[in-house]
Amino acid sequence: MSFLILCDGAFPAQTSGAHTALPAGRELTDEAGRKIRIPQEVDRVVSLAPNLTEIVFALGDGDHLAGDTDYCDYPAEAMQKPHVGGPVNPNLEVVVSLMPDLVLATSMNRRETVNALAHIGLPVYYVSLPHSVEEMIASMEHLGSALGVEKSAALLAEDLRGRLADLDRRLAGAAPRRVLFVVWTDPLISVGRDTFIADALRRAGGRSVVDTKAEWPHVSLEEIVRLQPEVLVFASAHAGSTQQDIDTLRTRPGWRDLEAIRHGNIVVVSDAINRPAPRMVDAIERLARALHLEAFASRTAPFSGGGTGFSLWGSVSAGTKPHRLKPVPPSSADSNPVTSTPRIEEACACAR
Amino acid sequence: MRPLTLRRLLWTCGSLAVLLLASVVLALKLGAVPISVTDLLLDLGRIAIGRANELPTEYRLIVFDLRLPRILLGILVGAALSVAGASFQALLRNPLADPYVLGVSSGAALGSILALLIAPGFALVTPLGAFLGAIATIAGVYFLGRREGQLDSATLLLGGIISASFFSAIIMFLLTTLSGRDLRGMVFWLMGDLSTPVSAGTQWIFTVGLVAGIGAIYSTSADLNLLLTGEREAIHLGVDVTRVKLVVYVSASLLTALAVSASGAIGYVGLLVPHAVRLIFGSDYRLLIPASALCGAIAIVLADTLARTIVPPTELPVGAMTAMAGAPVFIYLLRRGLR
Amino acid sequence: MSAPDTFAQTAGGREDRAHREQGVRLNVEQASYAYSPSEQSAPTFTLGATSFQAREREIVAILGPNASGKSTLLRLITGTIAPLSGRVELDGEETSRLDVRMRAQRIAVVHQESPIVYPALAGDFVLQGRFPYGRALRFANPEDIEIARNALAQVGAEHLSKRTIGELSGGEKQRVILARALAQQPRLILLDEPTLHLDIGAQVELLERLRQLAKENRYTVVVVTHELGLAAEFADQVVLLQHGRCLRVGPPATVYQKELLEQVFDAPLDVELGPAGRPRVNLRARRGEDIT
Repeated sequence: MSFLILCDGAFPAQTSGAHTALPAGRELTDEAGRKIRIPQEVDRVVSLAPNLTEIVFALGDGDHLAGDTDYCDYPAEAMQKPHVGGPVNPNLEVVVSLMPDLVLATSMNRRETVNALAHIGLPVYYVSLPHSVEEMIASMEHLGSALGVEKSAALLAEDLRGRLADLDRRLAGAAPRRVLFVVWTDPLISVGRDTFIADALRRAGGRSVVDTKAEWPHVSLEEIVRLQPEVLVFASAHAGSTQQDIDTLRTRPGWRDLEAIRHGNIVVVSDAINRPAPRMVDAIERLARALHLEAFASRTAPFSGGGTGFSLWGSVSAGTKPHRLKPVPPSSADSNPVTSTPRIEEACACAR
Repeated sequence: MRPLTLRRLLWTCGSLAVLLLASVVLALKLGAVPISVTDLLLDLGRIAIGRANELPTEYRLIVFDLRLPRILLGILVGAALSVAGASFQALLRNPLADPYVLGVSSGAALGSILALLIAPGFALVTPLGAFLGAIATIAGVYFLGRREGQLDSATLLLGGIISASFFSAIIMFLLTTLSGRDLRGMVFWLMGDLSTPVSAGTQWIFTVGLVAGIGAIYSTSADLNLLLTGEREAIHLGVDVTRVKLVVYVSASLLTALAVSASGAIGYVGLLVPHAVRLIFGSDYRLLIPASALCGAIAIVLADTLARTIVPPTELPVGAMTAMAGAPVFIYLLRRGLR
Repeated sequence: MSAPDTFAQTAGGREDRAHREQGVRLNVEQASYAYSPSEQSAPTFTLGATSFQAREREIVAILGPNASGKSTLLRLITGTIAPLSGRVELDGEETSRLDVRMRAQRIAVVHQESPIVYPALAGDFVLQGRFPYGRALRFANPEDIEIARNALAQVGAEHLSKRTIGELSGGEKQRVILARALAQQPRLILLDEPTLHLDIGAQVELLERLRQLAKENRYTVVVVTHELGLAAEFADQVVLLQHGRCLRVGPPATVYQKELLEQVFDAPLDVELGPAGRPRVNLRARRGEDIT
């Protein structure tokens, strides 16, 4: 990785100069409607958000990623890339020193950062926050063409759409579970109806009990106690402290009044569900299995909505050991949903 | 008797200007991408003789398009906040006065957010809103701080703190109406941050506003010396107190507004810098005002350099740096005043 | 106003002074005032028509208990408020119509000690008295420094010039504040309760100094006080106020009448005439016990 020399010692003044003199470029429009000009071959990409990094890798373009953020932890190679700081406060000097042809930004970044990079003449491709899983896939295809990997993008998109369609068929008869997706516990933050997470829940056979226009609403616990969701869904935290958090919740007033807590109807899904990237579809599949075990089992176990016999598996992010919130006899014969190989790898493989 | 002479004034300001230049060179050198001083000086030379286009692109981008504008903005903000702080200290006869402590910064922040929500897309809307917010706040705090016709130090500070938290609450409320993307920007800005480059036009407006504001305050510096010994005394010594107060309130609010709209609420600079200057050079405002401007610029340039380099490559908001240094000094001054 | 102007006016003032050598300097003529919280509401405090005149070298004491209107009369004389009716003139000019700088060149006011926020050297503090004569930034010129030095010398405080105000004793501080007033080179010096924070020795010293300064520099001095004894000893004229009314104006011997003072100050008093023709006042305890 020759570009790493830029990060130590005095700035190598002679290595560049012709770099921004674009011989033959192409013009394209990003999702914010901004027109940008990039070279024919995009060689060096800097990603300013974890989901964008994941997309770049999923499209098989990881080699061209010149830098990413401190929070880009998937796949493992992303952690080896030079970091430019956090998504909210990246160090612009480091971004510039990586000499990118293209900088990828999203709603996680500040508008000011995007403007600043554009101001000094770096092409910034902006990816909006998707409002649905389909939007995420479409946006990924669009990004694929910006990166010059349209084919792998199309293949990956086809695979993802196929899997989602398959899921739809399996869940066709099942009544949607009434779900509370917990983004944050203190204060309690859930998801609004127009978020990609709400869409992911719908795809997985769930329906958020919170139905607001606001995207990340603060919800009162009283309201949740009144709504009594069947299942609580958590995204696993990075430090693996989710189980601890849930144990604490069981003893707290309000929370302990929730049927779902009392009966242990809790699902911990991979934090991939929080990231609009292809791996999200894995998380949706797992969540669907957890919510509708009967739809996936060969011998269908009857679902009784009260709680007895209703059991759930939780899984932490792909590859780590899953943990069970309530012991149940393994009922699935054909496959164990939890320990299956991360689908993202397969997706990548087929894209190549 | 060792009264202030023009010579001592010029000599002091000259030395401080040299110090400021040295800190600018240091700030240009330090950063996530290190640059040797020799290269830097050579390139500054190249620019001086008009051969800037010979510089390599990335290098020019980092040093002259990213670092330099940020340093210049830091100079403006530091000078504005320090002079505003020194002015408020004289007007309110209170060594603890500072745009941040008095809630003027919060008022300016609220003003600019409101302005952004009401009329987005209009270029000068933020500084204008900040200015109105700052003026309204200082008027309110001044009113709150008056007891039986006298300014009461404790009530004044309390008024400032209450206003600041009241405005913060409204800001929090307004922030909930913003989308995630704007929210992140706002929260970062509220912490006091210089990492966002401003356009050349805005930079010019800031410069003009700064020069006008500091100039207006400086023209009253002899009057401020007398105001410090008391309003009544000042009147009997020939100070047109009403005019001086009006000029200084408006100018100091303008300076605060400029600083806040450029960089958010960077706290304690207006408290720390004039105090240090007073300890070193005495409390004659004819020297204190220009010396505070220069020292404030130096302080912000150095604090921001530290913020940029302390945990590379992550950049901290410069407001965190100044608060870390300023809060203990504030407590020290408060304790000393109470004794 | 430009500096040459100022100079001309000051020079003219001196000539004027020469002409009126024996004339009246301060003329308070049927001056009255009323404070109201707002334009519509009834006044909460009124000062009834008050008249007196003072020549140069004269010391006038404005005497009265609390809330008698002393401060209001003082403000009328300094010109910071304009009388509702009547007039207050200094050398024939209404004080409230003078512009701030001109007023500061003619009238110096010494207030009760006010808190000093930042440390300042006594010398620099006295130099502030030159402010009304200066230009834009008012850098002190050698003449100003000389005048300030003389002012300190006149109050016997030359040795204090390098000390900060904060470390001075009450009496020393009062002298430095008086020196600042002298540096203004005024025609009229007003003192508001100057003896409030001083012990008896410093009180006598201050008033003797004032009498001497008035004689040497031809000042007219107006002292607002509630100290009956001191006023009797040092004032040439006494203006006695009560409840916003001017009861009596004249030399102490005529104003100090037992029944009048007892009624005004609501205390049993003994008044006797001293050897120099000045009255002496003693406080007598109500139950016949002699406190003095």
